Amino acid sequence: METVIETKALTKRFGERAAVDGVDLTVGAGVAFGFLGPNGAGKTTMIRTLLGLTQATAGEMSLLGLPQPAKRREALARVGAIVEEPRFHPHLTGRENLQIVAAARDSAADGRIDESIERVGLSHRAGDRVKTYSLGMRQRLGIARCLLADPALLMLDEPMNGLDPAGILEMRHLIRAFVAEGRTVFLSSHLLDEVEKTCDEVAIVDRGRVILQGRVDEIAASGDPTVLLDIDDADAARRVLSSDTRVTNIEQEGRELRITLGDGLTTAEVNRALVTAGVAVSRLEPARATLEEKFLAVTSRLETSE
Amino acid sequence: MRLIEAEILKLVRRRGLMIWSLLLTVGSVLVAVIVLLVLHAVNPGHHGPAGGGTNLEHYVFLLSGLGDIAAILIGATAGTQDVSNGVFRDLVVTGRSRATLFRVRAVGALCVFLPILALGFAVAIGSSFLFAGGLAQATGSDIGHYIAYTLAITVLNTILAASIAAFASSRVVVGVLIAWSAIVAQILISIKVLGGARKFIDVAAAEHFATHRMNDNPIPMSSATALVVLAVWAAVALAAGRWWTNRVDA
Repeated sequence: METVIETKALTKRFGERAAVDGVDLTVGAGVAFGFLGPNGAGKTTMIRTLLGLTQATAGEMSLLGLPQPAKRREALARVGAIVEEPRFHPHLTGRENLQIVAAARDSAADGRIDESIERVGLSHRAGDRVKTYSLGMRQRLGIARCLLADPALLMLDEPMNGLDPAGILEMRHLIRAFVAEGRTVFLSSHLLDEVEKTCDEVAIVDRGRVILQGRVDEIAASGDPTVLLDIDDADAARRVLSSDTRVTNIEQEGRELRITLGDGLTTAEVNRALVTAGVAVSRLEPARATLEEKFLAVTSRLETSE
Repeated sequence: MRLIEAEILKLVRRRGLMIWSLLLTVGSVLVAVIVLLVLHAVNPGHHGPAGGGTNLEHYVFLLSGLGDIAAILIGATAGTQDVSNGVFRDLVVTGRSRATLFRVRAVGALCVFLPILALGFAVAIGSSFLFAGGLAQATGSDIGHYIAYTLAITVLNTILAASIAAFASSRVVVGVLIAWSAIVAQILISIKVLGGARKFIDVAAAEHFATHRMNDNPIPMSSATALVVLAVWAAVALAAGRWWTNRVDA
């Protein structure tokens, strides 16, 4: 698969503090890639460094296969980006703001203005001054500005920030549509749920370092399987399951148990053991780990190790 | 060229800036003409016609002084608006060099200011001929001096404002440049002990192009020297602004 973003030991320091700390990252073409981390993890600095808005302290990086910053202009000609919140000249209309940025791009960008505005559903407000726009409309205008480049890569910094549920849904659909067109979307977010719903791949970042990287479904499904049990006698069930050393963890919430199966233990074996011991099982369901749980597990391990 | 058009668009859409610039240049001359016309109409024995060479000199005095403030306002706005509105980084991520993005600011500012100045001159010169009555007209040489002096001081200050705005807010730039042109430079020019060193003051170089009636205490220098001094001031400011724009995080 073609590599769209690649960094090797990329580092950005502000004095003694490393905002991006030796990051090795590979993002393939045609995916929605989530750069996930808590506030202050270094997500925006990473995007700013990749885009040449601030200089890297050390390391190597390439965009669309072109080394940065040596081939900056060639690469950025096919990159659209929203860094932090989308900002505009408030006294200009939406269309005029796009004209300003199109003028900095190649002449074909002028021809994409109307198409971009229409794509994000702002045709009816394109002639209004941006100072009258809501945050959601500004986010959409920011996306339209990205589309002026006919981008192979979109870099969106916290694109869901400040949006209402309808706006978030709309943004998610837009991002998925871009991916369906073969574009790559690199988005940073601290909203785990949104990344899980929107992205194909994810890198979990904290304190400037990438802790975990891979496909969202694979990361969420990694580790030992977990099963949710609804039983009539939770204490009896605990006794039965505790006697099996392959059960690595048991958590109880009322009549519900959440158990982690290790060493090849199957759901069927658990069911058989409980029924044999006289425990009535009314529900037995493999639990799907969420990205949030994985994220918390990974970051808590990090805190423990420090 | 498209970038320059974009700069012009950003400036001309600022209604407040455009209204103030027009008031300071065209408006101030118009007001002066109207006042003189009214005075002449009311008491022709005491107040002469509103036109003629001497009145044109007064109009140019207004135009160069207040027009200079308009030039500084437009230059400072052009120099700061992308950064202050948070749009500069969006222009940088298009891949355009920062040097290019910086350079077009002063050019765009001049493209907006010079037509306004031209309109101001048209009103001043037109009024001086139209309402001259029996007064002596300004000569072609006088008009040439007026235009050269006003262009020298306003074009330089437009460039200085757009360039220095890379370092500071527009309010600071406007304040510093007006204080320099109207007060500090004039004080320095008047300190005779500074001798020939005063020719390196931009205001002194610009005033070299004024008529002797407008500038009764000129610093001796050739026109070539005056042009070089003005060019060096512009070049140094542009280089400093470009250097800072390249260096600072967007």
